[in-house]
Amino acid sequence: MSGPAAEGVHADNVFMSFAVTSDSHTLDAYRGRGGYEALAKALRTLQPEDVEREVTASGLRGRGGANFPVGSKWSFVNKQSPVVYLCCNADEGEPGTFKDRWILEHVPHQLVEGVLLAAFALHARHAFVYIRGEFDLPLRRLRGALQEARAAGLVGEGILGSAFACDIVVHRGGGAYVCGEESSLINSLEGKKGYPRNKPPFPAVKGFYGAPTVVNNVETLANVPWIVARGGAAYAALGSKANPGHRLFGLSGHVNRPGLYERPTGYSLRKLIFEDAGGVLGGKALKAVIPGGSSTPVLTASEIEALTLDAPSLQQAGSMLGSGGVIVVAEGTCMVRLLQVLTRFYRHESCGQCTPCREGTAWMDDIIARVVDGRGEAADLANLQAIPEGILGNTLCALGDAAAMPVLSFVKKFGAEFDYFVANRRSLYDGRLEA
Amino acid sequence: MEITIDDRTIEANRGESVLQAALRHGIEIPHFCYHPRLSIAGSCRICLVKVEGVGKLMPACNLSVAPNMKVATLAPEVGRARQQVMQFLMLNHPVDCGICDKAGECRLQDYEYAYGLPRSRSTDAKHHKRKLYDLSPRIQLDNERCILCSRCVRFTREVSKSNMLGIVERGAHAVVERIDPKSDDDPYSDNVIGLCPTGALLSRDFLYQSRVWFLEPVRSVCTGCSRGCSIDLWRRKKEWRMRSLGEERNSMLYRVTARENPEINGPWLCNKGFDQHKLAGRERTLTPMVGVAPASIERALAEACDLIARAVNPAALVSAQASNEELDVFKATLGARLRVYARQDSVAQPGEVVEDEFLIKADKNPNSHGVRERFGWTTLTAADAQAHDLFLVWGEWGDYDGFGDASVIHLASFARQSDRHADVHIPLSTTFERSGTFCNFEGKRNRFEKVLDKPPLVQHAADVFAQLEAALVGPQKLQEAS
Amino acid sequence: MKEGPGDTDTGGLREQFDRLGGTYPRQMSASLVLPLLQIVQQQKGHVTAADAHFVADYAGVPPAQVIEALSWYTMLHRQPVGRHVVKVCRNIACALRGSDRLLAHVEKTLGVAPGGTTADGRFTFLAVECLASCGTAPVMQVDETYHEQLDEAKVDRVLEELR
Repeated sequence: MSGPAAEGVHADNVFMSFAVTSDSHTLDAYRGRGGYEALAKALRTLQPEDVEREVTASGLRGRGGANFPVGSKWSFVNKQSPVVYLCCNADEGEPGTFKDRWILEHVPHQLVEGVLLAAFALHARHAFVYIRGEFDLPLRRLRGALQEARAAGLVGEGILGSAFACDIVVHRGGGAYVCGEESSLINSLEGKKGYPRNKPPFPAVKGFYGAPTVVNNVETLANVPWIVARGGAAYAALGSKANPGHRLFGLSGHVNRPGLYERPTGYSLRKLIFEDAGGVLGGKALKAVIPGGSSTPVLTASEIEALTLDAPSLQQAGSMLGSGGVIVVAEGTCMVRLLQVLTRFYRHESCGQCTPCREGTAWMDDIIARVVDGRGEAADLANLQAIPEGILGNTLCALGDAAAMPVLSFVKKFGAEFDYFVANRRSLYDGRLEA
Repeated sequence: MEITIDDRTIEANRGESVLQAALRHGIEIPHFCYHPRLSIAGSCRICLVKVEGVGKLMPACNLSVAPNMKVATLAPEVGRARQQVMQFLMLNHPVDCGICDKAGECRLQDYEYAYGLPRSRSTDAKHHKRKLYDLSPRIQLDNERCILCSRCVRFTREVSKSNMLGIVERGAHAVVERIDPKSDDDPYSDNVIGLCPTGALLSRDFLYQSRVWFLEPVRSVCTGCSRGCSIDLWRRKKEWRMRSLGEERNSMLYRVTARENPEINGPWLCNKGFDQHKLAGRERTLTPMVGVAPASIERALAEACDLIARAVNPAALVSAQASNEELDVFKATLGARLRVYARQDSVAQPGEVVEDEFLIKADKNPNSHGVRERFGWTTLTAADAQAHDLFLVWGEWGDYDGFGDASVIHLASFARQSDRHADVHIPLSTTFERSGTFCNFEGKRNRFEKVLDKPPLVQHAADVFAQLEAALVGPQKLQEAS
Repeated sequence: MKEGPGDTDTGGLREQFDRLGGTYPRQMSASLVLPLLQIVQQQKGHVTAADAHFVADYAGVPPAQVIEALSWYTMLHRQPVGRHVVKVCRNIACALRGSDRLLAHVEKTLGVAPGGTTADGRFTFLAVECLASCGTAPVMQVDETYHEQLDEAKVDRVLEELR
């Protein structure tokens, strides 16, 4: 569920355009809201390349965290290939992120329609939804939606009486954050360990079983029906120019009203935290914000003053838009212990394939663990700089970068706390993580 | 097309990687996981290079050459990246070079010296993994020394296709493991020993036998089958032979490694090939014999000469183990006098792979082709065995019962208890004790060099034939002269 | 239902395997590796090396590939687990909202540290990474079900119902 906050419902919203009820996820309810009209329109009046054109015109960028232009990714696929595959990345695992889960629970048909439209554009006969193995309700809702869709002739052969056919297979993951990386997802889907692949070749050229493959995030695909229904230009007019549209921002941590908020890109980060999410717990001062999921560099309270939730603004501030998972940290929190939560995570999730990440994530975690245990040494802080620098840019996939950036940014921005911990063998804030 | 690596402009071929182009031109770019015969792993990250116009460093092993590409391997950031990768590799490495056979031919050692920092940045205790245990009766594995380059796993997956090895567990817990200890051994397993860039995978047969810098390789050819793979036999260097070591350790063959031969075996060898040095330990026949009594070589030759001269219908049984050079001498000398039958002395033993789609051939002899080229191939039948009054048996064979009353001159290297005593027996040198060539099943000629000295009374077959021929011709010439 | 260790009802499994395989395109039997391992685990509670060989045979892939996968995915258990598996999230959003407290509470209540199984075989207790429920932190997953916005009392209620 999206939390205790009653989220604002607007008819023009891409996702939260209705009040959630016990059956608002069903086919009937979705159709009642105009669902599958975009698909019908596409199958009756558009060519596959028209759909791609609208998506390109929309300026839609990937919502999984990499922020890559979707139309461009689709354009890399040779549509004349005998086989093209579409994979929907529902392996939501970036800490602080819980938006794809909402989509699967509450608008699964919107995702299905988006998958079908994308498959239509890409000439993909088979689409796979790779859903993280831990998901329970999202999986059941997705399976339910597909069952309804099949029965209604929306999935399978001759969709809506047209020549277009597409089957959607739901594939559960086995518990691995790295499988959210597109080439790791593909290897996992091929029945192997989720080791990421060297790129080039890129999946759009050589992916699933060697065929051209597009991997798109759940939220990305769930945007497509809106774009096809109202046109790419209309989408491009939403939010900020550089990366248009609406996003489902997730607020978590020390806020009064954690949960999901659909907002246009370019929205004020301050406003999101202090107005929409009700400000910091207990009226405390803000200490830090991780703006886009745990892999994005942390920002101090003063650094977020004028920030807007779009890629250029956050990049300029030295961080990233990422997955839209905004994690709020109140004054009085021990940033050293908080960093340990992350180093432990990346160490556990490193796939083990490439040298810098495999050894570096364990090393960083060992050092932080020692510092937290009161056995930090002077050399540790220099190492907490050198090690992530040795990882950044040198790894086979982005998990290395994702592990390195938190360490670099925490040590850079809260270095005094780390110095204190090492010198005094204890936390400046009694190791506090709760507000 | 042309690309530039540092200050050198080199020609590169479409489709090859920067690493491949560099290696082809003798430009060193360090690499662990890359191997020309295996799929690209791109995981060790030591081959990272700087490319002009690209923001981050790129692995040279997975970087396709492009016209006018400018690659810098001497840029400071490349040096830093190499240091960093070495730091990560050495983080938990046991650095037990003092007791590791790989020392002296270890890529990890070489790169640490060339590219690494003098000491680790870490002050933490190293993490431990399983050390020094038997992967198989032939191979020892040490998971601490392993840098997880996956060459061994990729070999068993892509080349030998045994799928014997895998990498299990995630992250820093990852270890190479033998997937099913109960499965049959991979007949090509020993290749992983040479592939391994560290001392993680070692030959149990060679374990602790010698430091590699005391040894030298001598090129040879495996005699295990008609593929005739190129091998290197390793012996102690002359300058490192010391009285204190004793005769055996000074003169023995220590190990076999695969010798790259693009025409025949590429860089690979089967386990039987890796065991070739053990043939030097086979029991030899060392003394010429006349009947049941030892004799001098002169006496044995004289007796043999006499038997041949008096024979009405002499024959020879020629082994497919013989070298081309020996066969040429035989043909030019006794070969004209004797009816030649051919024999493949060696056959597949129980449990041995007979033939496969990789290297192993069913014919377990190195030079059937050479024999056939010179003499055709006539197999000795039971009827033939009765038809001659003299057999010159050249090779390993002792079942003379079928020969009826025929005299037997037996020339062989190895003793066989089952041998009935021949009329004349002359001990011969082995492939290790002379140089020569074989022709493999495709007719490809491959050279072996002498690596051991022969025992004093043992003869080279070519010398025996020449002397016998001289002795046989001599009296005739005298006759003609007079 | 979790059967005893070593109890691989291969007949029953084959039926489930066939049913699952039918939902995938033909010639994609290799893709079934992870789902088949999940089916075995659903039935037995954990997956053995023998099971892995069985799956490899069915999926037409080398056993090495399945053994590797079995060792690599966090959700697959190679040792028997308790009748219920309690997974408490310890990642950042949950940590900021009290997961330390809850982990300590569960440890005290069950009497085992994370990673352990209670002596009576009822519960296996694991500390896990982000479950994508950060908006309702702190969170735990017991078997399939998510339990969100937890406090000690709610944890007690959930565990009590399963005793």
